[in-house]
Order: sequence, then structure tokens, then C-alpha cells
Amino acid sequence: MDSSGLLRLRGVVKRFGTFTALKGIDLDIAEGEFFTIVGPSGSGKSTMIRLLVGMDEVSEGEIWLRDKRIDQTPANLRPTCMVFQSLALFPHMTVGQNIEFPMKIRKEAPAKRRARAEELLDLLRLPQSYYDKRISQCSGGERQRVALARALAFDPEILFFDEPLSALDYRLRKTLEKELKDLHARTGKTFVYITHSLEEAMVMSDRIAIMKDGQFEQIAVADQIYSAPVSRFVAEFMGEVNLFPLHAGADGKIASPTLSVRPGVELADLTPGHEGLLMVRPEYLRLADGGGFDFTLSGVVHGEYALGSRIQYEIETENGMVTVEKLREDRLSAAEGQTVTLGFNAANTHFIGDAA
Amino acid sequence: MTTSRSTRIVLYVYGILVIAFLYLPLISVGFASVSQARYLSFPIKRYSTKWYGEALASSTVSDLLTTSLSVAVLVTLISVVVAFFGALAFARYHWRFRTTFQKLILLPIFFPQTVLGLALLMWFNSLGIIPSWKTAVVAHLVWIAPIATLIVAIRAYSFDPALEEAARDMGAGTFTILREVTLPLLMPGLVSAGLFAFLLSWGNFPLSLFTTGADSTLPEWLYAKMVSGYSPLVPTLGVMSVVGSFVLILAAFAVAWLVRANRDAKVAQD
Repeated sequence: MDSSGLLRLRGVVKRFGTFTALKGIDLDIAEGEFFTIVGPSGSGKSTMIRLLVGMDEVSEGEIWLRDKRIDQTPANLRPTCMVFQSLALFPHMTVGQNIEFPMKIRKEAPAKRRARAEELLDLLRLPQSYYDKRISQCSGGERQRVALARALAFDPEILFFDEPLSALDYRLRKTLEKELKDLHARTGKTFVYITHSLEEAMVMSDRIAIMKDGQFEQIAVADQIYSAPVSRFVAEFMGEVNLFPLHAGADGKIASPTLSVRPGVELADLTPGHEGLLMVRPEYLRLADGGGFDFTLSGVVHGEYALGSRIQYEIETENGMVTVEKLREDRLSAAEGQTVTLGFNAANTHFIGDAA
Repeated sequence: MTTSRSTRIVLYVYGILVIAFLYLPLISVGFASVSQARYLSFPIKRYSTKWYGEALASSTVSDLLTTSLSVAVLVTLISVVVAFFGALAFARYHWRFRTTFQKLILLPIFFPQTVLGLALLMWFNSLGIIPSWKTAVVAHLVWIAPIATLIVAIRAYSFDPALEEAARDMGAGTFTILREVTLPLLMPGLVSAGLFAFLLSWGNFPLSLFTTGADSTLPEWLYAKMVSGYSPLVPTLGVMSVVGSFVLILAAFAVAWLVRANRDAKVAQD
């Protein structure tokens, strides 16, 4: 057993009756890492976190924490802690009693518990007067901080998060995403975060794992997942994307049924005789009036949508609807219904091979 | 919406009639209990509390109260324990035939109590058990434990199972979770279930009639005395029985109020 990671999964399988929720997961999470598992609902991410904290048992495989195998250890004996989606704050206790709960279980002295709770209120930027408040008197964001303080009071080796921000409104979510990232930096703890929101994952994580049908599609840093997805699923999951079918003849010449390709263009990953999808993100498409682009196609402007700082256009082409995004100050000088030619360069694309 | 004058008058009259219909009989029993006359007659000529004095001195009355109280207290305790585990089993675990079992358990509530009492009496006889106040406890439980379970289950269904999981995740064992999380959160349900169980047992007549054997509870005695050999103690004991129930309810409210006030005082300290 190699021991490179703090948390290591080897061939973890979870079955519910005849349904296999996790199909042989291998994973290494490093100490101090902010690791996020993203996937649509039903992808197995919630099952995964329940196995990791010990609320469900693995069907096959091993989970190691440092040099200890923990997959058979019950949740209450594992040195890990989770922030629940519902936060699971005890409604019959005050903020202070909630935070002190794990220390009370460990039978620490009341004075020591109180001192630590006060430290944690400071760390989470909650006023000391909150110690005696009831949970029902706290706002959504404050409850979030209390739940974090309580989890930190447990002093876990790994802190797990099960979509804790999903019930909050957009503005508060954005603030708390940054606070969580900041908290991660200040505490130096290992965070393992589960979410269905890619935006959340991108803002906070060191590495992201994309999950689909009980398996990982890709594990990489955020930037790489965005710019170089390994599959159509990952590309589409990671925000707006345009995909064009592409193939290379035996002579290496690239052709596409929907794109005009400039002669001599080469793509590193496209070898002669193969085909796949060319991915380009909406922000890399330009109006190609003057020419000079590796790939061009024409279409009719179909719609224009304001996204705040950016404007999104939908252009109807032979390839279906193509999405273009521009900064507000660079808005396209084309009206709805007008025919335009769009262009982009090979450097801004990513090729997804035929297997995917 | 504004109510017109005439609608308001109709509503007031309606309300007063309903209240009068509900409480006048009870109030008249109260008056009867303080009449010095031996037989019930209105208007009351001379008021007196002598029957209360006699009731408190009577050994029959203390026997009746002891029997009724023993049955009600035992029924309350057992119902609450059964309701606690039953409600958790329904709300927390998913097992085969769960919903069928749930419906079967609740069915006795809808049986006519006389039929239930008769059936239980026949059952005790065929088992060779001599009916006494102890068999009445069993009979009351058949009808009351399901109601108590229903009351606790409503509370148990509304409580997030993640709370117990979170406690376990933070190192708490099964017993600690029960003591620190499950019991405190179900407490309002358990208290109301206990209150209901006590009041339903205390006032129960049909089940007791069939199953107490030679023993007699307060409602049974009241009925027997009305049918044959009226005693002026009847309205007196009736009032005492109602007052007992009210005291219990008031005590429960007082405890709830004290708990809340105590909590608010703690919060207000800063």
C-alpha cells in the first residue's frame, strides 16, 4: 500500500441491492488539500461522502486514513467530521452548546470548552454574544458559520461538506464560498467538499473530481477541467461550450462537416484516421469579417441575453445553436436576424478524442 | 376583510350558544355538588361543602381514586414507552410491511370501545385471567397506546434524522445520542402523549366497565350510582374528577412555561 495521500480509496464499490452506486473508486487526497467532488444528482457523490464519514458501509474495497484502514470503523470512532446539507444544528441547544457538543462528548472540562467555543466564534467572525443565542434566532449565513465552528471544535483530520451552501441565496453563497476558501487557508485542514455546482467547485477547490454514474470522469485542477475536459460530459458539465465534429484523413488533413478549416491547421491530439469533437468555450469566438482564423462558420444571430458583466449570443448555424459570449464593452456589432461569420483559433480549442 | 355589524352579532350569538351547550351541563354538576340537599334539584336552596368533606373522609372514595389513579398512571407510563419506540420505528426505519403494520396498530382506535371491552373480557376469560384493575390497564393500553404512538410519531416524523447522524459523526455513541439529541427533541411529543394517555384513561368508562372485574374506577362508580342508589357524592366526585384533569393540564402548561421562561432568561443575560 503506497502512502502518498492522507485519504486513500482503493477499489471502493457500493451496491444497493442490484444497483451499483459506486463502481470501483480509486482516489488519493493529499493533506491540506481542498478537494471537491462535483456531479449531477444520482452520480454517486452523496453515497461516496456517506462511505467516507462512515454512515454507510462499503460493499468492496478499502479506505485508508494515513496508515489506518478505516472502512470498517463506525462513524463515531472516525477522526473525521461532516457539515451536513441541512447543517443538522441541534435546535434544542444554544449556539454555544452546539459548538461545544463534540468537546462535551470527549468529556472536556466546561471552562476549556467555553474558551475554545469563544475562539471559534472569533474565527468564524460571529460576535461573542451569539454564544447564548438560540439556533432559531440565527440567519442562514450565521447558521452556516455555527455548523462550521462545531465541526472545527471536533478538530477532525478531514472536514467533509455535503452541499452545505445549496439552500442559500446567490449573494450569500458567493460570500460564503470565499469565506470557506479563506477558512481552509487559515486552518490548514483537509477539506473534502461535495456539490452539484461547478461554480462553487471552481471558486474554492485545489482539485476537482467530476463524477458520473458512480465513477470519476476526470480529476484535475479547476483550470484544466475547464480548458481541457476529457469527455463531452465534462465539457458540457463545466459550463457553456460549443462542440464541433472533426476528423483527420489518412493524410492528416483536418475536415469538419460544419466548420471551414484553414488549410495546414494542426491539432496536437488529432492523429490521422481519427475523429472526435473540437471544443471551444463561448468567450473565444470572434466575428471573422477580416478572416485570419483557423476555423470559421457562419450563422444567423438568433438571440441576445444579458448576463451582467457579459452578453451571451445564440447563433443558429449548421452545427446547431452556437453560443458566443462577449464582455459588455465588446458587444457584437450585429443585430438579431443578421448573418455573421464566426471564427476561432486552434490555440483556444481542446480536442476530445473519439473514445469519449 | 371587514365583518358587518349583523354578521358579527350572529357570530357572537353562535359562539355563546356553543359554549353554553358545552359547559352548562358541567357547571350544573358543579352547582349540584355544593347543594346541601340529598337529591338533585334546582334551584339550590342551601349551599354547602359538606359533601366534599364526606368525600374526602370516605374510604370508598379513596379506594376509587386509588384504582383510577393506578390504572391511569400505569397506562401513561407504558403508553409513553411504547409510543417512543413505536414512533421511532415508524419514522426512522424502513422495513417491510411497515405501513400495513402502522395501519393495523391504529385500527383499535376506530373500534367501538364497548366491543373492544367485551372482546378483551372474553379473551381474559378464555386465558383464565380474573379481571381486576390490572386487566383494565391492558384494556386501556390497547386503545390508548396507539393514540400515544400517533402523537409521538407526528413529532418524530418532523425531526431531521441528520441530527442523530451528526451527533454520531461527532463521536457520540448510541446511548449518548438518545440522551442528548433524540429524547430532548421528542420530549414535547412525549409529554403531550403522556397527558393524553392519562386523561383518556382517567375518564374512560366503556373499557373499564368490561375489564375491571370486582374493582371499580371513578367513572364506573359514578355510572353505577346514577343507575341505582344515587348518592350526593356523585356530583362531588364528578367535579373532583374534572378538577383533577384540569390541574394536570395546567401543571403541564406551567412546566412548559417555566422551561421557556428559563431559556429566555438565559438568552436575555447578554
